[in-house]
Amino acid sequence: MLIDKFESGFMQFNRWLLIIMLAVMSVIIFANVTLRYTTSQSIEWAEEVARHLMIWLTFIGCGPVLRYGGHIAIENLQDALPGRVSQALRLLIAILMTGFCVFCIVTGLDYMDRTQYQITPATQISMAWIYAALPIGMTMTLIHWLLIVRRYVLAREFASDAHFDATASASL
Amino acid sequence: MSPSVILLLSVCVYLAIGVPVAFALGMSTVTALLVSGSFPMLVLLKETFTGVDSFPLMAVPFFILAAELMSGGSLTEVLLRFAGQFVGHKRGGLGYTNVVALTFFSGISGSALADAAGPGSMMIKMMDKAGYDRSYAAALTASTAIVGPIIPPSIIMIIYALADDNVSVGALFVAGLIPGLLIAVAMCIVNWYISKQRNYKGDGQMPSGPEILRTTWKALPAILLPVLILGGMRAGWFTPTEASVVAVFYALVCGKYVYRTLEWKAVPDILSRSALLTASVLLIIGMSASFAWILTIEGVPQTMANWITSIHLNAWTFLIVINVFLLLFGIFIEPLPGVMVLVPILAPVAAKIGVDPIHFAMVVIFNLTLGMITPPVGGLLFVTSNVSKVPLTELTRELKPFLIAHGVVLVVLTFVPALSNWLPHVMGFK
Repeated sequence: MLIDKFESGFMQFNRWLLIIMLAVMSVIIFANVTLRYTTSQSIEWAEEVARHLMIWLTFIGCGPVLRYGGHIAIENLQDALPGRVSQALRLLIAILMTGFCVFCIVTGLDYMDRTQYQITPATQISMAWIYAALPIGMTMTLIHWLLIVRRYVLAREFASDAHFDATASASL
Repeated sequence: MSPSVILLLSVCVYLAIGVPVAFALGMSTVTALLVSGSFPMLVLLKETFTGVDSFPLMAVPFFILAAELMSGGSLTEVLLRFAGQFVGHKRGGLGYTNVVALTFFSGISGSALADAAGPGSMMIKMMDKAGYDRSYAAALTASTAIVGPIIPPSIIMIIYALADDNVSVGALFVAGLIPGLLIAVAMCIVNWYISKQRNYKGDGQMPSGPEILRTTWKALPAILLPVLILGGMRAGWFTPTEASVVAVFYALVCGKYVYRTLEWKAVPDILSRSALLTASVLLIIGMSASFAWILTIEGVPQTMANWITSIHLNAWTFLIVINVFLLLFGIFIEPLPGVMVLVPILAPVAAKIGVDPIHFAMVVIFNLTLGMITPPVGGLLFVTSNVSKVPLTELTRELKPFLIAHGVVLVVLTFVPALSNWLPHVMGFK
C-alpha cells in the first residue's frame, strides 16, 4: 500500500535526522573540550551550533515520540469510564491535539517572519533558521499523529517499536 | 479572570481527560493567552524556545546517551557479579545484590527508569529463579531504582539547578550521595526483615580473595565513571555539560574496547533511542517554561511568598506542609513537570523563610521521585510491572514495607539538613 510505504519511509527519514543531530552534537562538544585541553583553543561556534541542534532535535523528535505513545499522560479517568465515553474523550483530545499542532505551525511561521532579520552571534545566520524547527517539527508531528489517530481514538493504541519503550520516556 | 487562574484551571482539565503532559502545558498556555488577551500569542513560542535553548540543559541528552551506551551488553553482568560477591552468600543475598548493583548503576545512569529497566529487570529474573517471590523482587527493584535520580549523575538535578539559581548542578550532585546511600541502606533493612520472615536463602559461600580482586578489576571502569564526573567538575576541568559529553565518549570506549560488547552497528539504535527520550523530556521543559512564565509575570510566586510569610510558618512547619503537598502532587504528576512548574514558585519562598536551598532541593527531588512508586500512577511501577510481568496489584501489595522505609528516610532527610548540605559544603561546592 502506498500509505504504508510512505509511513515507513517518513519514519526512517525522521529517525535518521534524529540520529545525525545527536551524533553531531556529541562530537562537536567533545571536540571542543578536547581541543581546549590539547591546543588551548576552542571552537567559537561549537556551543551555539550544538544548542541550536538541540532545539531542532526537540521538535523533530516530538512526532516519533507521539507515534510510540511516549508522551506521558494521566489515563486514570479514561480507564475508569465506560468504553464509549472514553472513546469520546479521546476524540476530544484528538481534536485538541490537531488544533494545537496547527496553532504552533501558524504562529511558528509568523514568528519566523518576524525574526528573519535577527542574526545568530557566532554563525551569523538568520534566527529564522532556528525558529523554523517549530513549524517544521509540528508539521511532521501532525503527520505522525494523523497516521495513528484512528487507532488512538478507538483503542488508545500506538505504533510499537522494539527499540523504544514508550512507558519509559519522559519519566525520570 | 486573571490569566493564571485560567491557566491553572485549564491545565487541570487537560491533564484529567488524558492529554499528554507536554501538550497539556502548551494548550493551557494558549488557552490563558486567548481568553485573557493580555499577552501576545508569540509568548508561547518565545518562552518555549528560551526554555530549550540552554547549554547547561545539554547535559540531559548526553547523560541519557552515556547510560544507554554503558548499559548494553556485559557491563550490567559485571556490575551484578561485583555487587554479588560481597553480599550474595548472606540470607536474602540476591536481594542485597539487587540493591547494591542498582546503587552502583545509579552512578552511571541519571534516571530511575534506566535502573529498573536495565540491571533491575535482570535481577528480577535471577531472584525469581533462585526462589524469591517474583512480585517481591519487582517491588524491591522499583523501590531501589529511586536512587537513580538521587545519586549523581541525575537528570532531574540538572533541571532543578536550571529552575533555581541558588543551587548549582555540582552541589546537587554531591548532595545526593549521602541521601542515596541512606535509601539503599533502608532498602537493605527491608530486605533483611522480609528475607528472615520468608527464609530466602543465600547462594553458597563468599568467593575467594583473588576472585574478588578479578571481578573488582573488571568492574572498575564502570565504578570510576561517577568519580570522573564529580572529580572533573570539582577540579574545574569541565562544566556539567562537558562532563556529560566526556561520559559519552568514556562509555563508548569502555563498551567498545574494554568490555567489547558494543558493536558499531548498534550505535544508530542507541542514538535514536536517546534522541527520542531527549525529545520527550525537552518538550516538557520547553512547554513548562512558557507555562511558568505566565505564573511568574503575574506575580504568583511573590503572592505565595507573601501569603506564607503572613501566616508565620517557620521553616520546619513549612517543610512539613511541603512534604504533604508534594507527596499528594507526586501521586499524579511525574518529577520532571513537577520540578519545572513548582520549583520557580516554591524555591524563592523556601529561601525567604530560611530553608537551605540545597536541603530544600533534596526534599523536593526525593518527594517527587517517590511519586513514581506511589500507586495508582507511577512511571516506575508501570515499567517494573512491564519488564517483570508482575501485575500492578501484586506489585503494589509487596510495596508496602518499602514505602514505609522510604517514609522514614524522607522524615530523616527533612529534619536533618546536614545529610544533604554537609558534603557539598565540605567539598567546596556552592
